[in-house]
Amino acid sequence: MIRGAAVHATAAITDAALLQALPHAPSAGRRTLRALLRAITDRRGLGWAPAGGRPASLAAALGAFAGAESLAVRVLATSLRLRIAAVALDHPELTGDPMLNRLVEAAAADRDLEAVRALRALLRDRGAVRVLSQLAPVFGEVLALRALLDENPLNDATAWLIATGTGYATADPVTGMSNRAVAVLDRGEGAARRVEPAEAESARLATKGSLLGFLGNISVIGTTGRVLIQSVEGPDGVVRHVVQAPGMRTGRPDHDSPQDLLGAFSSAVLAASPYSRALAKAVADYGLPEGAELALIGHSAGGAAVMNLAQDPAFCARHTVTHAIAVGAPVDFKRPADPGTWVASVTNQHDIVPTLDGQGAGGCFDLHPDWYVVDYSDATHLFPLCHSIDRYLANIAADLPEARDHIDGRLAPYRGPVVRSQVYRLFDHPPEPEGFPFLTVPTHAVPGPGGRVELPIRCQDGGALTAYFAADPAVAAALLEGTGLGPAVRVAGRAVVAVHAAWNRRTSVGVHRELHVGIVVPGPWRARGPLGWYDLVRGADRRRSGLFLAGSVVDTAVVAALAPRLWGGEPSLLPLEFGLATGVAHITAGASGAGEWLLVLGGRLGPGLPVSERDLVGYARAAGTTLRSCVRARGRALLHPAPRLRLTVAPGSPHPLAHLLRDLGLDGARPLLCVSATARRTLRDAAVPVPTT
Amino acid sequence: MRRHPARRSARRPVDPASITAHAVVLETDARTLAECAERLRGITERLEAGGVAPRWLRQAVNAHLAACATAAADLATAAAHLRHYAAGVRPAPH
Repeated sequence: MIRGAAVHATAAITDAALLQALPHAPSAGRRTLRALLRAITDRRGLGWAPAGGRPASLAAALGAFAGAESLAVRVLATSLRLRIAAVALDHPELTGDPMLNRLVEAAAADRDLEAVRALRALLRDRGAVRVLSQLAPVFGEVLALRALLDENPLNDATAWLIATGTGYATADPVTGMSNRAVAVLDRGEGAARRVEPAEAESARLATKGSLLGFLGNISVIGTTGRVLIQSVEGPDGVVRHVVQAPGMRTGRPDHDSPQDLLGAFSSAVLAASPYSRALAKAVADYGLPEGAELALIGHSAGGAAVMNLAQDPAFCARHTVTHAIAVGAPVDFKRPADPGTWVASVTNQHDIVPTLDGQGAGGCFDLHPDWYVVDYSDATHLFPLCHSIDRYLANIAADLPEARDHIDGRLAPYRGPVVRSQVYRLFDHPPEPEGFPFLTVPTHAVPGPGGRVELPIRCQDGGALTAYFAADPAVAAALLEGTGLGPAVRVAGRAVVAVHAAWNRRTSVGVHRELHVGIVVPGPWRARGPLGWYDLVRGADRRRSGLFLAGSVVDTAVVAALAPRLWGGEPSLLPLEFGLATGVAHITAGASGAGEWLLVLGGRLGPGLPVSERDLVGYARAAGTTLRSCVRARGRALLHPAPRLRLTVAPGSPHPLAHLLRDLGLDGARPLLCVSATARRTLRDAAVPVPTT
Repeated sequence: MRRHPARRSARRPVDPASITAHAVVLETDARTLAECAERLRGITERLEAGGVAPRWLRQAVNAHLAACATAAADLATAAAHLRHYAAGVRPAPH
């Protein structure tokens, strides 16, 4: 009302009609303008009160900079102080604590320096977490009070919104920075992908619908960027569905999930956010029948997101949202699109998160007479502990039996056995297919030992170690005789032999390990001159040189069966161990525990230079022809120029590979250099015959 | 520069009704402010009677009451001037 009077007086004095009429009655006109000016600037009356319209707002801002206040601001400040005093009646710790009291009083008296000193003293004495927790019941009021009384005009609108309960805080009450400016950073159309929960998680999911069961599920799913949708068969035999949305993920403020800090913020202050859009995508994928009944339950940012979903008219046109239950969430200014949606909000008065929209325990407006609102306080004043889903769960289970029973009563149609559960991982944007674009290639099926197998083999995640040794040149030459692949590449007169081991952790043919021993050869039509060495590091598509594969070991029957097609060899099927950690490698072929080991390549890798992981080109002889195979690789690797590894062959092992390694003089040898890659992706297709003569 | 006598006499017509409308609004606001002061006084007395009024409340409210009274008087004065002004302005020809 007071502000309205100021707006009206300002409108009168700025009305062009008054100035146009001035020549008709100049004396009366001047007196009128003087009287109006006095009405909006009288320090003993309305104060410095130009209001409404841009010029008036500018004048008000200039006055604020100069420390001039309006009567409306002074009355509102008194109202906020009174609200703080009222909350303090229920929370005596606010005024009983001299340090907290000093801060509140300083904020109310517009003593900035004193307020800062009081806050510093509090932070020093209690730490930020305890201060926030203790102030939580009046957090909005203290911020609004300070925003009203400081000289910063940018935060005044927020202060008015908080103080009058007419809308969510549109800006940071301290700096005046627009919330929308922050929220706009959280972009994305939202996406959801089905994921399987871990076995331990599945075992802990509720098998019957209830408030505690659903909140327990949110606790099980955790703040991991995932949500849960369940179907329950109600007592009437009708299957209904429940969306259960956890809060924000900790860590980086913005990552690929909408359950991040920015997502929480935008869910709170905007009507739609990537989180709610991703939730809608999850519900669409879940495949609900038209008009199916749906309950939405969310904690923290999840509560704001489910309320956004409930206030989306398009979503509510497709589904019947019967319940929306927000726990520890800032939802005061959300409005369900369907008036039939029953809304419950449960908040701990020491939890700051629900006050992010500016309305806390000190709010004196009944914003939702039709909602079921539980705003309680427990002995745990420590934030973020009092915000955790487990704390809310414990409070609802033990301290709020009436509220629990009431909400459970309203959830009666959902209180039946769970007949379906599906976990979704949410994203801001639809995620790229794994391995895109490197592993996005055409595939073809070939016969395998257990059915058809797709080639090329796509490995999403793997590791590899290639160790280059100096070997007996005569033995190498004997092995290469007649292959047409040229003499072995030599270093200081010795043939270069590579031992390549890989652990393919996630592939289109399952996890498998492999080990190859190959002589480095220039290949048929070998590059000559200076390009000869350069060719060794070129991509597989342009490389002539490669490894003449003299022996291989794999640890799965599928790959062993595919080996003739993949690289042309007949590998041994033996257990393989592949260990590659920072600076250390340990590769074992054969059953090491049973005394039937074949070889061990292990030791320190030494310092490494970062390089790109290289492709592997292999040559093999099969049925009188030479086959060329490629493993295309992407990833980061380390080149170790001074490795301290050692290759040890099992003494007396009759295995052909053991014989080969001994003949090459590699038993007990240390490599010249090594290349290690702890994470890489690979593509391996069938080998192709190449004429070499 | 002196304006041409013919142009000086050709004053733009104005609508005194729009000025009067402002007067009406400000008179209403003046009354509302007085009522607002009364409500403020009532709330304070109730809080004091309940024994829950903070110590500083009476002094703050007294200041607000005085300001409301002054503001109401300022608005009433401005409204009176507006009415007088509107009466002195020639109506626009229809």
